[in-house]
Amino acid sequence: METNIALYRNKLNLTQEKLAELAGVTRQTIISLEQNRYNPSLLLAHKITQALKQKHIEDVFYL
Amino acid sequence: MIAKPEWFKRRKYTGWGLTPSTWQGWAYIVVMILPIIVITEMNVIGSTQVVLLSLWAIVFGIDFIAMMVHVPKDERDIIHEAISERNALWAILVVLTAGIGYQIAAGIVVNEITRVDPVILLALIVGTIVKAASNFYLDKKN
Repeated sequence: METNIALYRNKLNLTQEKLAELAGVTRQTIISLEQNRYNPSLLLAHKITQALKQKHIEDVFYL
Repeated sequence: MIAKPEWFKRRKYTGWGLTPSTWQGWAYIVVMILPIIVITEMNVIGSTQVVLLSLWAIVFGIDFIAMMVHVPKDERDIIHEAISERNALWAILVVLTAGIGYQIAAGIVVNEITRVDPVILLALIVGTIVKAASNFYLDKKN
């Protein structure tokens, strides 16, 4: 799975640390997601989508 | 709970448990270990020393376990830990099984079947029960 997390995060001027805090995960998990090394659960994908102020999960995560 | 989970981080590369990640974590370890040294050095009757040490160990143990439960872990940490624990368990099982095999073989050589260490057998039986109970609980839960 690939993501646009870094793109939307930079648009919102969020640090990885801040996004991690908003999504309730560690910064290491955000790094792994941004590097497409980890497939999140549906719950985490939703939380990150919300934290990035996006409506559709598929805008942030895609195959 | 005396200790705060944010004072510690999960020990990933050097065994099990937690490692202090802040000065408060190190202070907690020192404060908890200090009474053990003081009690050991105290000039009291042996049995009193054992009771005091046991009581302190229980307090320390309960507090540390409570903290371990509350250390924040995200889903990636949980998956990594589960896979690491499974791999560790397999390694332990291989060693224990090999140990039983060796003990049976050694027992046959000297015509003594009771040479198998009951603790190893108990560990395997308890492990099997815990695995079955965990699977049962998880099946019911989700």
